[in-house]
Amino acid sequence: MSPDNRRSAIGNWQSRLLSFRVIQSASVFLLMLALCVYAAATKPTFLTWQNLVINLLTKASCLGIIACGMTFVMIAGGFDLSVGSTTAACSVVTVLMLQPLAPHGAWVAIPLAILATLLVGILLGSANGALISYVGVNPFVVTLSTMFVFRGLAMIITSGGLSIQVPVALKEGAFRKIYWGQVNLFGSPTHQATIPILVFLAVFLVSVYLLRFTRFGHYVYAVGGNENAAWLAGINTSLVKAATYAICGLTCAISAIIFSSITGTTQAASHEGLELIVIASVIVGGTPLGGGSGSLFLTLNGLLLLSVIENLMGQFRVDEKYRKIVQGFIILVVVAVDGFVRRTRARQRR
Amino acid sequence: MAEPAVGDTILRMQGIVKDFQGVRALDGVDFELRAGEVHALIGENGAGKSTLMNVLAGRFRDYEGRIELFGSEVRLTNPRQALALGIGVIYQELSVLPNLTVAENILLGHEPPGRLPGTLDRAALIAQAKAVVDELGFDLPLDAPVGSLSHARQCLVEIAHALRKDVRVLVFDEPTAALGAEDVAKLFAVIRDLKARGLGVVYISHRLAELPQIGDRVTVLRDGKVVGTRDVADSRVSLLSEMMLGRRLAEMFPPKRNQPGKPLLRVEGLTRSGAFEDVSFELREGEILGLAGLVGSGRTEIARAILGADKARGRCEIEGRWIPPRSPRRAMAMGLGMIQEDRKRDGAIAGLSVAQNLGLSVLDRLAGPLGFLAPRWLRDHARQGIERFSIVPPDPLKEMQLLSGGNQQKVILGRCLAPDPKVLLFDEPTQGVDVGTKAQIYRMMMDLACQGKGIVLVSSELIELVELCDRILVLRDGRLVKELPGPGTDVDTLVCECVHGNG
Repeated sequence: MSPDNRRSAIGNWQSRLLSFRVIQSASVFLLMLALCVYAAATKPTFLTWQNLVINLLTKASCLGIIACGMTFVMIAGGFDLSVGSTTAACSVVTVLMLQPLAPHGAWVAIPLAILATLLVGILLGSANGALISYVGVNPFVVTLSTMFVFRGLAMIITSGGLSIQVPVALKEGAFRKIYWGQVNLFGSPTHQATIPILVFLAVFLVSVYLLRFTRFGHYVYAVGGNENAAWLAGINTSLVKAATYAICGLTCAISAIIFSSITGTTQAASHEGLELIVIASVIVGGTPLGGGSGSLFLTLNGLLLLSVIENLMGQFRVDEKYRKIVQGFIILVVVAVDGFVRRTRARQRR
Repeated sequence: MAEPAVGDTILRMQGIVKDFQGVRALDGVDFELRAGEVHALIGENGAGKSTLMNVLAGRFRDYEGRIELFGSEVRLTNPRQALALGIGVIYQELSVLPNLTVAENILLGHEPPGRLPGTLDRAALIAQAKAVVDELGFDLPLDAPVGSLSHARQCLVEIAHALRKDVRVLVFDEPTAALGAEDVAKLFAVIRDLKARGLGVVYISHRLAELPQIGDRVTVLRDGKVVGTRDVADSRVSLLSEMMLGRRLAEMFPPKRNQPGKPLLRVEGLTRSGAFEDVSFELREGEILGLAGLVGSGRTEIARAILGADKARGRCEIEGRWIPPRSPRRAMAMGLGMIQEDRKRDGAIAGLSVAQNLGLSVLDRLAGPLGFLAPRWLRDHARQGIERFSIVPPDPLKEMQLLSGGNQQKVILGRCLAPDPKVLLFDEPTQGVDVGTKAQIYRMMMDLACQGKGIVLVSSELIELVELCDRILVLRDGRLVKELPGPGTDVDTLVCECVHGNG
């Protein structure tokens, strides 16, 4: 690298550091840190391994897995309202598969149930993708309707929405470990990570790899940035878009397995409203509606902020009815600030 | 204020200066307009045409210079004041409201009030709108929503809206950019009528071919300065081109040294109803083939149909192999490449980096097994492109939207040429780029031709066609009407062929 190049690279790095986008994501991060510091100072129960890792991060991980899938969809300029229903349908499939398979033992039943669930997740996601890409219906409308259809399907296979249970041997045995299982970290029995956290980390890393280090990832950004131009540049934009929905469906299935392990029961009406928290994490992180930019790290940032707020409201025993209002306001404020920043930046460029 | 007679100077702008954050957009511009004349204002993109007219429309507070309207000096600082003084502007992007009716649009902001406060007297609204339309001699359905009308008729609604007031100076900002040939003719008839009624009309355009049909005088702007004002009747188009470009043509265009070889692209009976009909031609190796015609004559549509971006009947072949329709991806795999006319809509991916934009067409080749693509491979590929096309700034990570128009175009050229296509479709490749980049693009096209590529060039800048092409096909209303040799044809002949064919 010549000295000239290096100087421009540094200049670029500085301008990037000071860019509004960085300031925006830094502000989300700092807000989260500030909340944590405040909570740590006032509530001794906050800054404990039990609360932060076993409680906060484990819950966040279950949502975070789906948020990874949603990030693909939203960077490609799409939208998926059906993730709550997809997750419900997948969890029903898990339990229904386990019921007849249980007598064959955990080592047969669980892998087969997981495999079936993942396939169903991919199938439902692909259905969304095919409708959006090849039939050409607006993603908002498609996933709004599949949100009802998938839940309806879940009701049909559970005889009208009855609560269903994992067979007791698995429910209190191996299957329970999927959510409640813990792994010692640093060889210390007081510092343990939960299985959901490890699964989330794996999903996150694979997603980062796909988005940043593969051809497919570049196509996702290109389709979100300017679908028309990407198509004219010879990209199979329909396939790329459909693939993002399939990935999103797959992540729903992964989460569904973990969710159904919490109590070992599920029903068609579960996970309602899940889509909103997941979409909120992606948007608060800074991936714009309309796509073209954003990243998984931004999503992680947004997810952590929302999770910390949720946890704090629990710590301070905020009444359930006010929690929703607080969450709503946070989303509004962050997105409004983002919009303001964007406009200012556009004006300055002109 | 006495009614000015035809031929009197009604508007005089002197020494107009306007800066945008330190960049001088207008640098001491003088401009005059007489009653009853159409004064064309031409120049390349970024020459300052629209800025000058925005000063006149009262859109800026901070301009320097003198403006004299009907003999008295005025300072125009807001759009309402300019309108009140009788200055109307029809912008390229119409500001009609598609869901309201024609009558509502014409009287927008001046609806007659009804008896109750906040209500509207519909009968009076229709009557007043009818009066305006009848006076202008327009044929418009007053009850129809404007969105249901053709673009040209929407333009008439906008004109009626502007003329509702006592407008004496009317500015048209590139009105024909989105019109078909028939609509252009209608619009010109309306402009001639307005002129006959003693209005002063300013007509902004960068399409020289239109001028002889509509303009009386023409002022050429370049880099924010007036190059000259002349009568249209005794200005040859080639001279105006040189005034716009600011260079001798010989410096801009490299000498021809390509030799057309064997046939490469064959188009047979290509038809798309409403756009073009029964178009057949052949392109040979090393040949630059021009498609000339007015806006709406079907040039862009033909190029898009060959690429497979639009549906069309007929047959296209590269080296005897059929190009499947409706799939730019497969057409590209067969060796076709295209530069789109609308860079912002169809070309640049604004939010992505230069490296991502440049590499988009060859990610398959760059990526390893399982689609793995190290960021460094993409950057290295971009560095080569940046060097080959001298893209400024030479930073592969720069966001596309932060580049100038000319450099964005170079990135898109780089993307198009990276898979090494055999046939290139260039649709207005020099639109909105600076003169230096233009010369560079011309040289590149000549080099590509010398390497044996076939190039189809679509351009509104007839001078490009004449100087670069081996053959020029003239289109009128979607039909090929004439084939001219490139060398030896002059611009003025080509203009006549495009317009009415008896040149």
